[in-house]
Amino acid sequence: MGVGPSTKETTLHHFRDPLVAVFGDDPDIDFQGVIVVGTPQDNLLKNLVGKRVAKWLQAMRTDGAVISADGWGNSDVDFMNTMSEIGHVGISVVGLKFIGTQATFVVTNEYTPFVLDINKSKAGIETTVVGENNLDLRDANKALGFLKLKMRSDLKTK
Amino acid sequence: MSEDTLKIKAFSVKDIVFDTKYRFTNGHLAIPETISTSLPANFESITIRIVKPHHLDVQTNTIMDICPISTKVLGKVGDGITHTLTGAYFLITGADTTGIQLHDFGASNGLLKDKISLGKAGTPNEDDYMIFFDVLLKPNFSFDRQLVTTIFTLADQYLQPIRNILKMINGRYADETHEYSNESHPGKPKVVVVKEVAGQGAMYDNLLFPDEPSGMANGVSIIDMNNFPVLLTPNEYRDGAIRAMV
Repeated sequence: MGVGPSTKETTLHHFRDPLVAVFGDDPDIDFQGVIVVGTPQDNLLKNLVGKRVAKWLQAMRTDGAVISADGWGNSDVDFMNTMSEIGHVGISVVGLKFIGTQATFVVTNEYTPFVLDINKSKAGIETTVVGENNLDLRDANKALGFLKLKMRSDLKTK
Repeated sequence: MSEDTLKIKAFSVKDIVFDTKYRFTNGHLAIPETISTSLPANFESITIRIVKPHHLDVQTNTIMDICPISTKVLGKVGDGITHTLTGAYFLITGADTTGIQLHDFGASNGLLKDKISLGKAGTPNEDDYMIFFDVLLKPNFSFDRQLVTTIFTLADQYLQPIRNILKMINGRYADETHEYSNESHPGKPKVVVVKEVAGQGAMYDNLLFPDEPSGMANGVSIIDMNNFPVLLTPNEYRDGAIRAMV
């Protein structure tokens, strides 16, 4: 498993990225930037890169993060690992990825309820139609709203 | 202009034709039908195809990537001035002569109108032209990182003359100008977007910081960086600092 045609983010997608468009346009947050992280094969490295992301955010005094991925399957491990590492250092975190009916989580933890599904296909599957299940402006706005609520509720419990 | 400001000037493409030379005048783009370099040994052919808007009843091999045609005019990726084309996008597709598709995880070959969802951030709109760079390989190829890099580099070299023309166009004739800055809002919650991208094994990869926006040359592979996190400013991201591959 990996990156299928309907979820794959093309170079054009990155150029017109809905997350950057939405987060960069909201005066109610201080948008610090985009961290790009890969998906190593090696388990040791999988854990390490997730930890490095969390440390980086912590060092920047980040309050909230949204994590998104265009692949699913094996890379869900990386996704949930990085999300958990960010959460463990006390930073509010929400996720965005393709779930549908085909890519539901194999294991769940305290962070999985905060992952939004970007599936757009009726059957909830990898349709092999290029762009069909891509993250769009609506998903990005939803994630921003969700993250704001999460940051507010985390602040109360701190 | 402050170092933190990025201007993206868009030039609209009205039509595309084949010609012996690259040209772009008053929205009319001319491109050659063949690549200028010789084919690597395991390549059967490379076919350039122009697909007009609303003419999607054509067969396609699996779509590996769709990229905008942009060039840096002033500054480095993330600041200064970028020129880009709108109304025309570049698609890299491929298979071998027996029909085996060059894909990672599910192929998108078939009738184009059934295989692409238009109007997304990552796909052309219904009124856009598409330039296909279709690679046909000899059978028994090994689908590895080297092969993918070769295909994408050849495609990038095919685009570079268009970029060189775009660099020389007077920016005042742009159809749209977008200005972006890395704004900070002190006192507001600090927020980061984390993007997990593929960087595994031999097949899929992403490049960061190529010389040209959304280009290939001198890009650093996320695999070569051991998949370690990298921070991009919003403007670097908006300026094509990341190049997706298969």
